[in-house]
Amino acid sequence: MTGVRADLKEYSEMRKMPEHGDDPTERGRPPAPHVSIRGLGHVYEEKGRKVRALSRIDLDIEHGEFVSVVGPSGCGKTTLLRIIGGLLSPALGVVRVGGSTPDDAKRRQSIGPVFQDSSLLPWRTVAGNVRLSIELRRNRVGKSDDREVDHLLEVVGLAGFRESYPYQLSGGMKQRVALARMLAVSPEVMLMDEPFGSLDEITRTNMGYELLRIWEQRPATVVFVTHSISEAVMMSDRVVVMSSRPGRLISTVEIDEPRPRERTIEQSKRLAEYASVIAGALQGAMDEPIAV
Amino acid sequence: MNRSLSDTNRPGAATDRSLAGGAAAFARAASIPLAAASACVIAWSVSVHLLEVPEYIIPSPAAVGSRLIGDPSYFAFHGMITLMESLGGFALGSAVAVAAAVAMAHARILERVIYPIALLVKVTPIVAVAPLFVIWFGLGSFPKVMIAALITFFPVMVNVFVGLKSVNPTTLDFFRLLDANRLQILLKLRAPSALPYLFAAFRIAVPLSVIGAVVGEWFTGDRGLGSVIIVAHHNIDTPTLFSAVAVLALIGLGLTGLTALAERRILFWHESHQGDPRI
Repeated sequence: MTGVRADLKEYSEMRKMPEHGDDPTERGRPPAPHVSIRGLGHVYEEKGRKVRALSRIDLDIEHGEFVSVVGPSGCGKTTLLRIIGGLLSPALGVVRVGGSTPDDAKRRQSIGPVFQDSSLLPWRTVAGNVRLSIELRRNRVGKSDDREVDHLLEVVGLAGFRESYPYQLSGGMKQRVALARMLAVSPEVMLMDEPFGSLDEITRTNMGYELLRIWEQRPATVVFVTHSISEAVMMSDRVVVMSSRPGRLISTVEIDEPRPRERTIEQSKRLAEYASVIAGALQGAMDEPIAV
Repeated sequence: MNRSLSDTNRPGAATDRSLAGGAAAFARAASIPLAAASACVIAWSVSVHLLEVPEYIIPSPAAVGSRLIGDPSYFAFHGMITLMESLGGFALGSAVAVAAAVAMAHARILERVIYPIALLVKVTPIVAVAPLFVIWFGLGSFPKVMIAALITFFPVMVNVFVGLKSVNPTTLDFFRLLDANRLQILLKLRAPSALPYLFAAFRIAVPLSVIGAVVGEWFTGDRGLGSVIIVAHHNIDTPTLFSAVAVLALIGLGLTGLTALAERRILFWHESHQGDPRI
């Protein structure tokens, strides 16, 4: 409980800080980060008991940056993502997406999600599932939207499957549909919650490179939650490491590798080094007694 | 559930969706149940003859058959009336039930208002209410439709209500992250998610609606198979009574078959229609 109070204090101090965009003298400064998180803490109730899910998280994500969040399972990665997406109001702290609250960002329909469970509509065809994103943005869907859907299906390599139903697809193909559906939003921020988590290793790696190829052509800010260190290292500009519950950011590792990422032995070796650094940080977080 | 039945649900195979494919599949699927039913009829016929059961207690299948064939327009006329009353009641009851379920899913306060009333209606024996309906709605088909609607209402409402709430949570997250409004979530997510529950309810409600119509006909009127049964009962005209029962069974079978057919067409994507459904 004292920890919560400490968070509260931190929060009230933070409220006094000027926020990005509020200050007219801000001109000339570097552009504000796309996603800005300050003093974020979250508590939820489970069976009448308060559980601290997140604690004192500060994180800035630049426009067009690919940031992965890794951490032990149950550390609050998904909660963090839900807060950035505006599905959950944080108990403490301030989150800004594109200078506004996550709720407003959601209202601008600038957020594109992909989940571990493809969560496609089983009664719709592949094309129908992609069209859903367009239908939710505006109620009228026209011919040009059908062309857009076809184009997106080509981008994710499913041009031959527009009339198939999800139950006829493999897990990897379903995630490709989920990617196309997310791209149909034309998102500024892509929120990905272990999108390839239920795929086998080979499919998973292929899908990772595929996502990178798509992302390089359609720049967007990516927050990518995963429990695979190697996946995080391969994809990201930066990997942030979270501790187990209550989740805190314990380490940030910049992945200073050229893009596009390639499957060369040299790069793989260097990425493996990054991975071992992150694995070390994670190990440290697990050993350390959870004290706040 | 027969494997050959579920195999016809695959929309991937175009031939399965054609009428000829459907008829062939139906013949394949129906042959064993038909043979079983025929065996029962033969056993009935043989035992009635061997035990010399009087016709006014159990008529032979031949006697029932000749009564049916002897006056087909009589049974067609009354059967049609009962069928229409059942369908009318089923449609009315289901429509009100779906509306009530949507209202209950929309707001908790409406759930608290509607559910107790619906429960009260459900626990009241329909046979006890039927005479009241006759007093209120007269002697024509309308009270029968109302009774059929009343008996249909509850299972449909409860199932659709549960179905509307049974949505995949991450799919709901997707809709919310894209700022879908409540109407969009209802029409594009909740309603289709409720379809399997709706059809499960229909399987129960369709035969119930026939019961409702027949119970209504018992009380008043001179039309419909219910009144045919009452009149035949008073005259100890057992062959006519059996014939009416047989027509009712046929109506029930036909309606159930149509429901199953519609379900297979509409719910081909659902888990229950993929692969071998046996546990």
